[in-house]
Amino acid sequence: MIKRIIFFIFFLYFLALIQTSFLVHLKILGIVPNLVLIVIILINIFTPYYQWQSIGLSLLGGFYLDVFSLSCFGPNYFCFFGFYTLISLLIALFIKFIFKRHVQFSKR
Amino acid sequence: MKTIHKIRVIVPVVLLIILFLVLNLTNFSDKTKNFFYSISSPIQKTLWQAGDNVSDFFSGIFNAQELKKEKDEIFLQNLELIAQISALKELEKENKDLREALSLGLEKDFQLVLSQVINKDISQDSLLINKGSEDGIVPGLSVITSQKTLLGQIGKVYKDFSEVVLITSKESSFDAKITEKEIYGVVKGEGNLKASLSLLPKEEDISEGETIVTSALGGIFPPKLLVGRIKEIKKTDIESFQTAELTLGFDLGELENLFIITNF
Repeated sequence: MIKRIIFFIFFLYFLALIQTSFLVHLKILGIVPNLVLIVIILINIFTPYYQWQSIGLSLLGGFYLDVFSLSCFGPNYFCFFGFYTLISLLIALFIKFIFKRHVQFSKR
Repeated sequence: MKTIHKIRVIVPVVLLIILFLVLNLTNFSDKTKNFFYSISSPIQKTLWQAGDNVSDFFSGIFNAQELKKEKDEIFLQNLELIAQISALKELEKENKDLREALSLGLEKDFQLVLSQVINKDISQDSLLINKGSEDGIVPGLSVITSQKTLLGQIGKVYKDFSEVVLITSKESSFDAKITEKEIYGVVKGEGNLKASLSLLPKEEDISEGETIVTSALGGIFPPKLLVGRIKEIKKTDIESFQTAELTLGFDLGELENLFIITNF
């Protein structure tokens, strides 16, 4: 488990770098997919709801996005350091909630 | 048991809130960002160049027809420009002679600082460059390309890095003029790498392809920097002014080296 967490710490860091330095050149219909958020969603879907490490990884992914997103200018309520961390946390908690309440896995 | 569970949830949440309050209310977030940019900039520079190459490769494949059309247009423009250059060379010689005669001395050029792009924001119209307060960069300085095309101005400045707010940012607006006709207007950023020239007098006849340069009126940018060309003109009976959509003078994919004007 620790190996997997360490892997994801570096993996999310490199994804954030790829997102901000590489993918910005390759817009698809004017849109750049947010790889970090996609991976956060996948981590939370494929980790059992009772394992809370995925919440930590989501926070870390959001933190990386906050670090590598440049400041916004002018009045904007969503303009604060921690915006992506908050979004990632909410996504992770939402997925955990859905899986805990509405999805049942067979015990084999 | 339930209390322990509650504490285990509440304590991290409270710690997280405190951490982000500290990061937002002090300049600790700037230091954090500067630290991450410092350790990541070599990788970011490599990734930026790789992305640029990949983008060039794919644009060559997907836009082959458009490129051919563009090539033909450029060829014709090139012929026109060669003719203009020879005419300008004559004028330059004449100008030089006149300057010498009037003892005006050499024209003062800009004082420039060279920098490189290492990051572009995913949601904002801004760039990150590898020069910061240590290199004498302060907010508000103008940023241009090597072709003296206006790119934007310095926004936030970190110790070793700075953010460039592009002219396409929604917060950007400055005075500009159409060179051919001396018509003044205001260039406004519309976000998503788009900008428009507004407040153009309705009675003026403006055509597509005309060149826009900065004017000395606003005092934000040095005068006569290329902004772009007129792409489309929007004129309605209701509004007292006409607006023009702009084709910008720079291509974000091609940007690598930028110049910051420290004195003009």
